[in-house]
Amino acid sequence: MRKPPVRLLSLGVSLALAVVLAACGSTGSPGATPGKTIKVGLVTDTGGLNDKSFNHLAALGLSKAASTGNICSSLSCKSELGVQGDVTESHVNSDYIPNLTNYATRGYDLVIGVGFLMAESIGTVSGSFPNTHFAIIDGVGADSKGNDLKHTNVVGLLFKEQEAGALVGTIAGVLEKNNAGAKKKHIIGSVGGIKIPPVDHYIAGYQWAAKQQDPTIKTLNGYSNNFSDPTKCAGIAANQISQGADILFQVAGGCGNGVLTQAGKDGVWSIGVDADQKDVDKSVIVSALKRVDVATYDAIKNVKNNAFKGGLTFFGLANDGVGYQADNLTLPADVMTALNDMTSKIKSGAVTVPDTVP
Amino acid sequence: MAAAAKSSARQGPPKILRRAGRALAVPLGSVLLAFVVGAILVAVTGGDPFKAYQALICGGFGLFCFGGEPSVLQLSNTLVFLAPLIMAGIAVALPFRAGMFNIGAEGQLIMGAIAAATVGIHLTGWPPWALLPLVLLCGAAGGALWAGIVGVLKATTGAHEVVTTIMLNFVAQWFLRFLIIGGPLQLPGGSSKSSPIASSAQLATLIPHDNRIVFGLPGTVYRAHTGLFIALAAAALFAFLLWRTSLGYEIRAVGQSQRAARYAGISVRRTLIVTMLIAGAFAGLAGAVQIAAVDHNLTDQYFSDTTGFDAIAVALLGLNSAVGIILAAILFGALHAGGSVMQSDAGVSGNLVYVLQALILFSIAANFLRSFKLRLPSPGRVPSTPAADAVAEVVAHEAETELRADDKDTA
Repeated sequence: MRKPPVRLLSLGVSLALAVVLAACGSTGSPGATPGKTIKVGLVTDTGGLNDKSFNHLAALGLSKAASTGNICSSLSCKSELGVQGDVTESHVNSDYIPNLTNYATRGYDLVIGVGFLMAESIGTVSGSFPNTHFAIIDGVGADSKGNDLKHTNVVGLLFKEQEAGALVGTIAGVLEKNNAGAKKKHIIGSVGGIKIPPVDHYIAGYQWAAKQQDPTIKTLNGYSNNFSDPTKCAGIAANQISQGADILFQVAGGCGNGVLTQAGKDGVWSIGVDADQKDVDKSVIVSALKRVDVATYDAIKNVKNNAFKGGLTFFGLANDGVGYQADNLTLPADVMTALNDMTSKIKSGAVTVPDTVP
Repeated sequence: MAAAAKSSARQGPPKILRRAGRALAVPLGSVLLAFVVGAILVAVTGGDPFKAYQALICGGFGLFCFGGEPSVLQLSNTLVFLAPLIMAGIAVALPFRAGMFNIGAEGQLIMGAIAAATVGIHLTGWPPWALLPLVLLCGAAGGALWAGIVGVLKATTGAHEVVTTIMLNFVAQWFLRFLIIGGPLQLPGGSSKSSPIASSAQLATLIPHDNRIVFGLPGTVYRAHTGLFIALAAAALFAFLLWRTSLGYEIRAVGQSQRAARYAGISVRRTLIVTMLIAGAFAGLAGAVQIAAVDHNLTDQYFSDTTGFDAIAVALLGLNSAVGIILAAILFGALHAGGSVMQSDAGVSGNLVYVLQALILFSIAANFLRSFKLRLPSPGRVPSTPAADAVAEVVAHEAETELRADDKDTA
């Protein structure tokens, strides 16, 4: 008969004992900093810190507030300026509530949830901890039906995506007017993920601004009902290109990367979204930026200065909350002129960019 | 004789303890190996393994906390993960006992969640005493139906359950997406989730959700729910079914040797179908409990949910027994809950938890490959574990289809 591996077992037991004993011995204290150090906990959504989009940018904003110069990836970072930042990544949606609650129970001054999908979790947890400040990117503290609970300890950090859309739309419009595109048919396209407000804001601004520059322009628009599968978005992009579109704007997260690569294959231009996407494909001429880092930093600064205000805060061109980044194309002078004109008009309030897709 | 007496005198503990020790050696060894390798990984990548594990234990069980975590809340979080793992673990273990490898617990769980949510959303006027049992029953039925397809295919056409369950997982996931993104269950207003189920369809939490302060925190933060008792009852039912009923005997007989079972007058086909139906019902119940007690609405999260796959590890680590599954589910639930505390307190990525889970599964799998190897020279021997038998069957089946293909080629 085979003998049980007793030796292995006893080795294992003694190791386990060693672990437990050592655990009892260490008293890791989280270093008390003098003065009014505030503690900020950031909970990412399931995209994780390496999403090269809003989770990454939110962590960047936190690191800037904690002024370590590095992203507080998984390690916590502290600063002399009196902000301690900690990050927890969520792996599945059911992690949201425990992760948010974890920071709230430990007396953190500000708990930040990243993303529209956390709205309900923020709503639930903020109700249990009325004395803790909460911030949520792209959303509000909501009940299970998506209605704003209007908790006074929650600030919703929302973006005027339509203004970023208008900037890239201006670029697209001028390029089409000048017949600079590959097909010269005055047709531009856009591919959205799911038809939700932030997506439509971008597309509405894009279409509106392009028409301002080139009234003959024709706009195509499609939704993939998906934020993750690039092949779906590539299919919609290929269809639009076959109809004559030569500039395509993706507003579909990871799915939208398929738009960028499809544009590259077919030799037309594309426009990235949220973060600088020039590395995804050489076809990306410009990216519409949503400065989640600015919004995160701003929210932390307000808590630090005792200036926290519940409700909604909007980030647009006027407060550097949105913008654009020119990528694999040097923008011609007339494009820059039109861009500067549009920027000053939006900032001064001379124009209001529409935020619904007609 | 003298040697035996001497050895028993030396070893001391009675036979039953030694047998238990032998049975536990593999799972305990696997877990310890995983933790040792995990500690090395943390140390090599510049972390402090002791601090990491201390935070992990804190997050899982509320013990040895150093970051100011409230203990009871940590325990409560672990309990939330526990219930679905136990029920899905049974859904994997039962077919194992019949010699089948159910990779489809995830799909069955999703179908259970869909069925439960659909009923809970639409029958809002019903009283709790009728609606709640109906929601749970419909969840079980949804899972049973999904697994039943696999059982029928296996029994009639011989389609391999590993392939069909994996494929049906995809079908269930995308069906869910269809329903809540632009489909009939979508909550108006453009979000990718369904409406919440009626409050009369919800399972109560262990600590009532009112404004009272419990263990120093508002009662609403404790999400541990009464579905845990359903899970424990399911485990008891599983043990009873397997060891105290004739159906359980038939399942085990089919699992040991289909030929022998057939010779003994057992209908192998019927047993395979019934086994899958029951297994699917357990997985579907897991989904229904999750909807009724935790989530209250169908969300996109079931698209990335891994409970049904963790359940495979839970069943294997738990040696396909009821008590073992509960213990393994506690471990996996604690690991999952502890991962976030480990990240926020010890600065070690929560992904380490997935490395630990994979290492545990790996060392168990390595072991059952070994027992399969030991079996090879004398195929007539009684298989040592159902897991080994399942693997043997996969291999035998592959060999058979290969042979058939060869026949066709020569013909």
